[in-house]
Amino acid sequence: MKRREFLELTLVATLGSLARPSFIYGRGQKETPIKVLVLGMDGLDPNIVSRLIKKGHLPHFERIIARGGLAPLGTSIPPQSPVAWANFITGLDPSGHGLFDFIHRDPENYLPVFSGTLSEEPKKKINLGPWVLPLQGGKIKLMRQGKAFWQILEEHDIPSVISRMPSNYPPAETSQRTLSGMGTPDIMGSYGIFNYYTTEPGEINPDIGGGRIHQVYVIGHQVEATLPGPVNTFRRDQPEATVDFKVYLDPINPVAKIVIGKEEFILKEKEWSGWRRVHFPLMPGKSISGICQFYLKEVRPHFKLYVSAVHIDPSNPALPICTPPGYSRELVAQLGLFHTKGLPADTSALDNHVLSEEEFLHQDNGFLEESLAMLEFELKRFSSGLLFFYISSTDQRQHMFWRLTDPEHPSYDPQLARFFGGEIERIYVQMDELLARIEKYIDSRTIVIIMSDHGFNPFARGFNLNTWLFETGYHKLRNPWVKDKGSLFEYTDWSRTKAYGLGLNGLYINLKGRESQGIVNPGAEYENLVRELAQRLESIIDPVTGKRPIYRAYITREIYHGPYLDRGPDIILGFNWGYRISWGSPLGKFPADIIETNQQKWSGDHMGAAELIPGTLIANRKIIHPAPSLTDVTATIIDLFGLRIPVEMKGRPVLKIT
Amino acid sequence: MGKAKIKIDKHLFDKIKRYASLAGYASPEEFITHCLEREVAKLDEAETEEEIKKKLKGLGYIS
Repeated sequence: MKRREFLELTLVATLGSLARPSFIYGRGQKETPIKVLVLGMDGLDPNIVSRLIKKGHLPHFERIIARGGLAPLGTSIPPQSPVAWANFITGLDPSGHGLFDFIHRDPENYLPVFSGTLSEEPKKKINLGPWVLPLQGGKIKLMRQGKAFWQILEEHDIPSVISRMPSNYPPAETSQRTLSGMGTPDIMGSYGIFNYYTTEPGEINPDIGGGRIHQVYVIGHQVEATLPGPVNTFRRDQPEATVDFKVYLDPINPVAKIVIGKEEFILKEKEWSGWRRVHFPLMPGKSISGICQFYLKEVRPHFKLYVSAVHIDPSNPALPICTPPGYSRELVAQLGLFHTKGLPADTSALDNHVLSEEEFLHQDNGFLEESLAMLEFELKRFSSGLLFFYISSTDQRQHMFWRLTDPEHPSYDPQLARFFGGEIERIYVQMDELLARIEKYIDSRTIVIIMSDHGFNPFARGFNLNTWLFETGYHKLRNPWVKDKGSLFEYTDWSRTKAYGLGLNGLYINLKGRESQGIVNPGAEYENLVRELAQRLESIIDPVTGKRPIYRAYITREIYHGPYLDRGPDIILGFNWGYRISWGSPLGKFPADIIETNQQKWSGDHMGAAELIPGTLIANRKIIHPAPSLTDVTATIIDLFGLRIPVEMKGRPVLKIT
Repeated sequence: MGKAKIKIDKHLFDKIKRYASLAGYASPEEFITHCLEREVAKLDEAETEEEIKKKLKGLGYIS
């Protein structure tokens, strides 16, 4: 979604919520003989689970497995979270639900587009002086196709609660209680932009991803600053809506008072504020509300204040984050404010040294605790049907802390490893503690399924797909000497280019009749080129390690046959253990080396070949199939409630119910 | 639709007139409008690219 479209979309969200009563749940009232609790722990790796069970660190996992079982869970190709969770949601493969990557491309202009949502600006607007007033709301559309399994349950009056499901923003239409998860933007319309106010800006790279660095000055024990918000599309010149705030520093003690709008609070150095509401004025009588956290990192000698991404306020959501529209308000009334951005952990702030490891963990533990409180709240009233609950911390911790578990990793730091080398194990133990905490809600009627979308592996080396395509002659540049400059594919000579890389696993052919400047003929020329590329990709050897970076180059048309095949790439790269796409290649860059070392804190990943990084399936009932996959879990859920599995679904039931 | 006037260097305008005629445009105005529309469309696309980069950077998968 473009940021400028954000506010236009809020209008339709607001109108929508007015049109429907807030607390009326529709179908889904049936008393079911069983209850199904599904805990989605993103990135939970079956090998790590098994290892920690052997060490005796996961007694509650072990107890559930003893009653039922543990199996590696076949993940999606590619094993990216939006794709994998969409497999689970629909019981379809990517060619059936239409999501192949975080990013797709528009074949008209070769530009990246978000796979999960499509935004449309309002068609009718009027100009009034400096103001632009939309006469209709814009639209934001979920691009995932196929019916969600809870919609099938609803058709049979079976109740379900779906909390923080990825690939479900905006939430699929239902009258059951759902809260959107990964894919839900912050108030800027982005996946998360923090703000950092410092009198020492030189310490941080100003051009960092996921954050903005602001230079501020302490004058007379005061700091004046501005918090940026969404683009104000109610104004013709479309400036950013902003809120000014002041920080009053105690002249002696490391303490400060922050005044922002109606909020006024005091923080000690190294103290977090908890959620604070901010209102961005748009036009007389209209503002947009968000929530954010402040962290007073340092008062002296340098003033440093971190402000988290501004999340959509769940007590007054500007965009549709839940169904029915009042569900998030109900949760706030019961539990207080909570994070709404899809992935709340601020990995960018950690990666860019704005937050330390300790500060990152403190914040993420707070998010996790919010989630657990919400889970407990729902468990207390879980009497029938299905409850799905998603946790992101397992994924995010493994992305950020893998480097400290492995002395061979290029980002390994022995000093940090002394303190944080056990963080990955710790998050698995925290999940075990979660199971202990909810044990009392699990009765003999409750079937417990713990699942993940993929496993994990180290990210030590990055593959520059576009550089390789250029070096091997499949991608031609008009000005090769400036290949890494300019915007996306700015110097590409499409009249001579046969292939290009975009997204985290995707290689596309410049196909005639599909791409606007395609040159490869459909049919034999296309088929031969795809095969040639797949073979060459699989035979590349990393001169540094002697390994093959690409374990499998899947030819998409050979593995998928559904109606949305054309949305996806022609070849899906399945990386080898330790490898991933490079940092620059997903958005069309051409760095100097074909393979580069990853020295970022983001050091674990899951872009590998599906067979190398399966997810996890754990249940308190026997798993009767030796190699279950994500779509089998969907079929299992449908089957558990005695419903017929739709013919288009790929899976089959895998739990034995006695 | 409202109209707006802009000032343009006389020497440049003479060239525009000449090329507009050669390229088959009905008038210099039509040629200028076409050129500007094309450039604005490029900027719109560039903004989309920047926006998507910002959004993804928040996710953590690209730099």
